[in-house]
Amino acid sequence: MDFFQRQETARKHTRLLEVYFALAVASIVVMVYAVVVICLAYYQHHMAMRHFGFEETDLAGLVWNPKLFVLVAAGTILFIFCGSAFKTMQLSGGGSVVAEMLGGRPVDANTSDPDERKLLNVVEEMAIASGTPVPHVYVLEEERGINAFAAGHSTSDMVVCATRGCLKSLTRDELQGVIGHEFSHILNGDMRLNLRLMGLVFGILCLALFGRLLMSLRGSSSRDRSPFPAIGILLLAVGSIGVFFAKLIKSAISRQREFLADASAVQFTRNPEGLACALKKVGGRGSRLEDPNAEDASHLFFANGMAESFAGMFSTHPPLEERIRALEPNWDGKFIAPDFREEDEADARRRQAFAPPVMEPGRPVRAPGLGDLLGGRAMGPAMMPMTAAAAGVLLSAGAPTQRHLDYAADLRNNLPPALQAAAREPMSAVALVYALLLGKVDALRTSQLEQLQKQAAPGITDEITRLLPEVMNLDSRARLPLAALAMTALRRLSEPQYDEFSKNIDYIIQSDQQLELFEYALQKIVLRQLEPNFRPAKRTVVQYYVLKPLVPACGVLLSALAYAGQTEAAAIENAFRQGALKLNLPDLQLSAPADCTLPKIDLALGDLNQGAPQIKKLLLYACAETVAADGVIKEEEAELLRAIADTLDCPIPPMVSL
Amino acid sequence: MGFIVIFLGILALIALIAVFYVVGQYNSLVALRNRFKNAFAQIDVQLKRRYDLIPNLVETAKGYLKHERETLEAVIAARNVASNANTKAAQNPGDATAMKALGGAESALAGTLGRLFAVSEAYPDLKANQEMMQLMEELTSTENKVSFARQAYNDSVMVYNTARETFPTNIIANTFNFTAAESFVIDKPEEKEAPKVQF
Repeated sequence: MDFFQRQETARKHTRLLEVYFALAVASIVVMVYAVVVICLAYYQHHMAMRHFGFEETDLAGLVWNPKLFVLVAAGTILFIFCGSAFKTMQLSGGGSVVAEMLGGRPVDANTSDPDERKLLNVVEEMAIASGTPVPHVYVLEEERGINAFAAGHSTSDMVVCATRGCLKSLTRDELQGVIGHEFSHILNGDMRLNLRLMGLVFGILCLALFGRLLMSLRGSSSRDRSPFPAIGILLLAVGSIGVFFAKLIKSAISRQREFLADASAVQFTRNPEGLACALKKVGGRGSRLEDPNAEDASHLFFANGMAESFAGMFSTHPPLEERIRALEPNWDGKFIAPDFREEDEADARRRQAFAPPVMEPGRPVRAPGLGDLLGGRAMGPAMMPMTAAAAGVLLSAGAPTQRHLDYAADLRNNLPPALQAAAREPMSAVALVYALLLGKVDALRTSQLEQLQKQAAPGITDEITRLLPEVMNLDSRARLPLAALAMTALRRLSEPQYDEFSKNIDYIIQSDQQLELFEYALQKIVLRQLEPNFRPAKRTVVQYYVLKPLVPACGVLLSALAYAGQTEAAAIENAFRQGALKLNLPDLQLSAPADCTLPKIDLALGDLNQGAPQIKKLLLYACAETVAADGVIKEEEAELLRAIADTLDCPIPPMVSL
Repeated sequence: MGFIVIFLGILALIALIAVFYVVGQYNSLVALRNRFKNAFAQIDVQLKRRYDLIPNLVETAKGYLKHERETLEAVIAARNVASNANTKAAQNPGDATAMKALGGAESALAGTLGRLFAVSEAYPDLKANQEMMQLMEELTSTENKVSFARQAYNDSVMVYNTARETFPTNIIANTFNFTAAESFVIDKPEEKEAPKVQF
């Protein structure tokens, strides 16, 4: 199953969810109606009929009163709708809303806590390996159980969150398994589904809450015959039935996604023991969550956050035993009780408080030669034969392997320490991104720096000058990952600082008055990922289900790629033709260079982003085909392809295949 | 009968909307408060790094500045005061007294450092010392980072305070005891900038 298929399955599940939900709402409407009828019957029995305008005590008329039914149905549906709309709106803030709701604290990019450092490193590696931006990392400080979750609508507002217990009790390999599991939720498209689920279920939950509210009205109103408490009790009952349905829906959908996520996590890390051990420790220590809001989000987590109930019917996760056996068929059935050092913990924190940021020792590198590559010997693996490469690029979309993970770890370990440190600190991260974008020619760079001196925060230019020599020597394929690493720190900017940042990036890019694709890619990736942090997220809605209206946009994109990769007219034409053939558009004409300017490409990508997933898939294949037409994928082309894929929300791992 | 149902429905809707509104505003206040508290963590990291650098700086300078013991002791004393003030402020970022104390201590520290740098102008050997140059460089860079982080903190404090004071959120803020946050100001404008020394 490839990335696009998995996303498609997730979408099918969403549709299934909607059907379930409609069924639940329908049964709730019927039950509310029953409640209202019972109340009325009770009333009629006790009071004069004229109060209600009924002329005769007609039992059938009482049981089936279409007017009343419509009223009740409209009221109930409106009610549930309001609740769902409210929660959905609240959640539109993205994953960080969920994390903060559960009491999460964002992890500092330059944290001095070794456990947090470890978590950040594991997440960063996984992000580089899978080609997604580095997500926001949160810690649930108060939670002692071993658990974690990922939430968000897309890769740009996603959040990975782990409990303190998780950080304390798991080794690096186990943590990697857990994070791999969370990343596969991201790549499988489960996050959006999960948030949707939270929103819908909340509407049903509201009914129960409202029932409780009505019940409490008893105290305030006069004791005689107020209908509120009775209706309240009954509504509460109905609401509880609603909650029952809601939980059933949640667990039914969630349970099967967990197995898939486990399987994908093993695919990423190639290390089933890590994940299995983590699960065993969950068995030994527990994964219960203390926060009262956790119930709402229980289906997001790595392991059951709630107490088991009803023989697992409501549990959002498959039984641990089953999950472990799926990874380790001859498991002896023993859980591991992790040692959890509460005492030294406080001590260690105090000691760490004054120590400089901890650099984790580099882990042993399994894939040989990659470090050398970064050192400058950029040969061999960077070159790929064409069709194999084109297919390889796409097959790996959304499915990083252990090789990608090793590459990512290696890449990160081989980045100059000064730049790594800079990527962790907001101000230096800003300077770092500027430095990456500055012109290659000395005169241009000097004038750019002068301008920045005027319009950037004080000290920024000093910082740029400090970082510049190392940035200049940086291997070109390390540039985008470095920018990705800086993301965590850049999220700490305040809104005015972000405005200044994006304005200055614009300035630097405009100032050299030429189309440089790397600049564009970097701007696209950085700003697109940061935007949801500072502005309300705009959701992309699929508007195109057929390729036809998108043909001009495809032409622009493929032409731009052809111009980027080739210099000779014939080669350009050939590269373009390869891509056009892949799209089944043999008549597509190569656009003139004047039509492939940055704003035009930007518009084209904006249109293409509204295409259905299958169109995006086809388009990415075509792009890969164009890039690989001459049998060589240059690093620049590869990174540009990655930027395009990222803009289209289809993360592809770095190209280390072959 | 239909009337009662409609009445109930409207009542329910109004109650629901009111509850949602209050919950939403409350949550956003909590989120804003968390944001400025987290922004303070950024300042905290940089200030701590600076407090760690200063003893090294003084240690290096000591060998050269034999007759300036008072200046050096004043720097160390100001550093300790500021460090304590920072620890207090970090426990409860935004607290008015703690933030004001930190601002005062920081500007006092900047003042003593400025004096140290002015004094060291007269000692060419010290200025040429490799270690000293490195420390100065790092101190300036940290100073810049502090002011950058301070800007981020003050921005988020302002957003929080504005939300807290705007009607009708202020009712919710007062009911649930969301106190005003204090921004981090370093008092004297001429000492606000990083101590600059021309070697």
